[in-house]
Amino acid sequence: MTDAFTTAGFLALSGALLALGLFGILTRRNFILLLVSIEIAVNAAVLNFVYFAAFAPTTAEALNGQSAAIVIVALAATEIAVGLAIVLGLNRLRGSIDVTGATDLRL
Amino acid sequence: MVGWSVLFPYAYLVPLLMVGSFVVVGLGGTRLRRFAGGGWIAVAAAGASMVLGVLLGVAEMLDPTYTDTHVVWLSLPATGTGTFPNGFELVMGTLVDPLSGLMLLVVTIVGFLVLVYSLGYMAHEKGLPRYFAELSLFLAAMNGLVLADNLFEFFVFWELVGVCSYFLIGFFYEKPSAASAAKEAFLVTRVGDVMFLLGVFLYFYVYATSGPAGGWAAHGFLFVQGSSPFLAGVMGGSTPLLTVAGLMILGGAAGKSAQFPLHVWLPDAMEGPTTVSALIHAATMVAAGVYLLAVTSLFLGFTATDDLAIVAIGGFTTFFAATMALVQPDIKRVIAYSTISQLGYMVLAVGAGFAMVGMYHLFTHAFFKALLFLAAGAVIHAVGTQDLFKMGGLRRTMRITSGVFLVGALSLSGIFPFAGFWSKDDVLSSLFGELGSHPLYWPFYLLALATVFLTGYYIFRVWFLTFSGENPRDRSLPAAHEAPGVMLVPMIVLAIFATVGGLFPFVPAFAHLLPGAGIPPSYTATDLALSALSVGLAAGGILTAWAFWGNGRVFELPAGSAAQPVRRLLLKRYYFKAGYDALGLTGVYTFARLCDFVDRYIIDGVVHGLERSFGGLSERGRRIQSGVVLDYASYVVAGVVVLLLFLLVVGPYLVATWGS
Repeated sequence: MTDAFTTAGFLALSGALLALGLFGILTRRNFILLLVSIEIAVNAAVLNFVYFAAFAPTTAEALNGQSAAIVIVALAATEIAVGLAIVLGLNRLRGSIDVTGATDLRL
Repeated sequence: MVGWSVLFPYAYLVPLLMVGSFVVVGLGGTRLRRFAGGGWIAVAAAGASMVLGVLLGVAEMLDPTYTDTHVVWLSLPATGTGTFPNGFELVMGTLVDPLSGLMLLVVTIVGFLVLVYSLGYMAHEKGLPRYFAELSLFLAAMNGLVLADNLFEFFVFWELVGVCSYFLIGFFYEKPSAASAAKEAFLVTRVGDVMFLLGVFLYFYVYATSGPAGGWAAHGFLFVQGSSPFLAGVMGGSTPLLTVAGLMILGGAAGKSAQFPLHVWLPDAMEGPTTVSALIHAATMVAAGVYLLAVTSLFLGFTATDDLAIVAIGGFTTFFAATMALVQPDIKRVIAYSTISQLGYMVLAVGAGFAMVGMYHLFTHAFFKALLFLAAGAVIHAVGTQDLFKMGGLRRTMRITSGVFLVGALSLSGIFPFAGFWSKDDVLSSLFGELGSHPLYWPFYLLALATVFLTGYYIFRVWFLTFSGENPRDRSLPAAHEAPGVMLVPMIVLAIFATVGGLFPFVPAFAHLLPGAGIPPSYTATDLALSALSVGLAAGGILTAWAFWGNGRVFELPAGSAAQPVRRLLLKRYYFKAGYDALGLTGVYTFARLCDFVDRYIIDGVVHGLERSFGGLSERGRRIQSGVVLDYASYVVAGVVVLLLFLLVVGPYLVATWGS
């Protein structure tokens, strides 16, 4: 592991990614940008799995973290697939992909 | 030869036949038009039950035993602990004994005669199936009451006859006065019924908790068990609780038999058809109170305090009701007050310790009072009014009715040798013999004696006003006609009973039904003098009535007379009804208003207040649910932040402050 990355610096990077993602989630009204923001937040977690797997004492244990990262990436891919389907549906239904307009399930 | 007693277990058929008639007529309804609205079915059932009832009565005369037949309804074994250490049993069954044999004779015979009479009297009324069904149910309940073998079953039938009385008083329910009279009768007797029920509970409680194991309580509280020496032993040590129980029974009897102060409903019950007045409110149901007292007195026994209270109520009511009968303008109401007064005699006799003498008077009274009512009904049927001052001279057009009414009036007055003479004389001479046992008996004896005079006066006032004179005082009355045969025959049969009924106890076999009643074995000069005194008083009353009202005379009290306030007081029935109404309107109504207020504003207020505050809370809470996905995301973030704050800041701080 090179010295260019200290643990604190790395955590700051993934924290920044998470904050960036959350900011996007809370502020974006466009469904596609919302999905992009979710991806950013999820990737902050993936980064953590990969980074801390590098400190594992055995290869087998290192694989634990890396396989978790792969699972999350796969999950994110399916999530996007479903999400995009919803986007298409929403657009067909309402002619817009503004999430604040989709309140039909409210009481 | 098979003995008469084989009949006894089948006594339940007497009420059951009438239940059958009730069901058939009640369900048949208007489809029975061809049977006089079900009347013929009811008459047939009543006839069959009369045959069986009379057979049972005769069987009791020839074989005066106590035969109990019952099924166990509820049974708790004796455990020695708990609420009923000696066991407890409730049964339903029939007890055929001399007393119920006598009552069966009265109820089934009078019931049958009144039903026959109804065929004529009610022919033009609407709702005949209802009438005959209710009358059948009444007869079923009354016969059940007579045959009941324990106090609890007695109470069940007691309530059934009460509800039938309510139905039948309110038969003309479209008339507001009839509807309100029915309600009044129901409510006033209900006061007595509650007391009766409390009395039953008290008796059950006393015997279920303090008798020996396997005693009366464990054997269904049967009357016949109650007559065993064991019970007399327990009763010997009279407790305050038993005194109270006896007073409660008296209260129940006062409600049903219209004794002071629960007498107000009976005169108003005259709103029902006259046949109902004759059967229920003269001959049978109102006598149930006296029957209850007699049964309780014979099988359970009253304490000395109870006896005094019974004598006081009976003696006072006798006189009190007779005074109100003096001035009534309504033919039925005079007879109604007379009924209250005569019931007072019976209660008096039971209280003085002569239950059988009271039953003797009940027996004769049932016949002559039913006769008086049926004769009055025939008059009302003929002239279409109940106002005595509109009638007059009906002797000419209604010969037989006037004759049988005269028989009834003579019997009621107690003129030798009519039925009423024997039993009333028996009541008075029995009480006279007991005068030494309590100083307070004297005033009630004198009241009872004075009532003999009043009785002769008021009933002959009715007779003279109705039948004597030349023509009806009100010329607009329809021309009177004699009643049809179907009405005359029952009246004539009753007139025969009212004439010779008093002699029955002198027949050796019949005397088994009334042990101890009738002329005493040694008829002394004192007895003769007492009889002469009461006949003299009655004759005096009749002569007074003749002087005032005879030959079509109408006696008008001068307007300035000192007696006017008394007359008004009597017409207003001593303001008892007005007083009860005022009590209801002020006391009960205020209380009801208070309850309404509490219910509406306090109880409902709390409920509605809670409901409204939760409603407001959720109205506010639902605004969180905006439906916008971004809002939910921010709630999630806020929640995570709070959780993290708690785990990382607040939690460690708490651990550091108070330790783990």
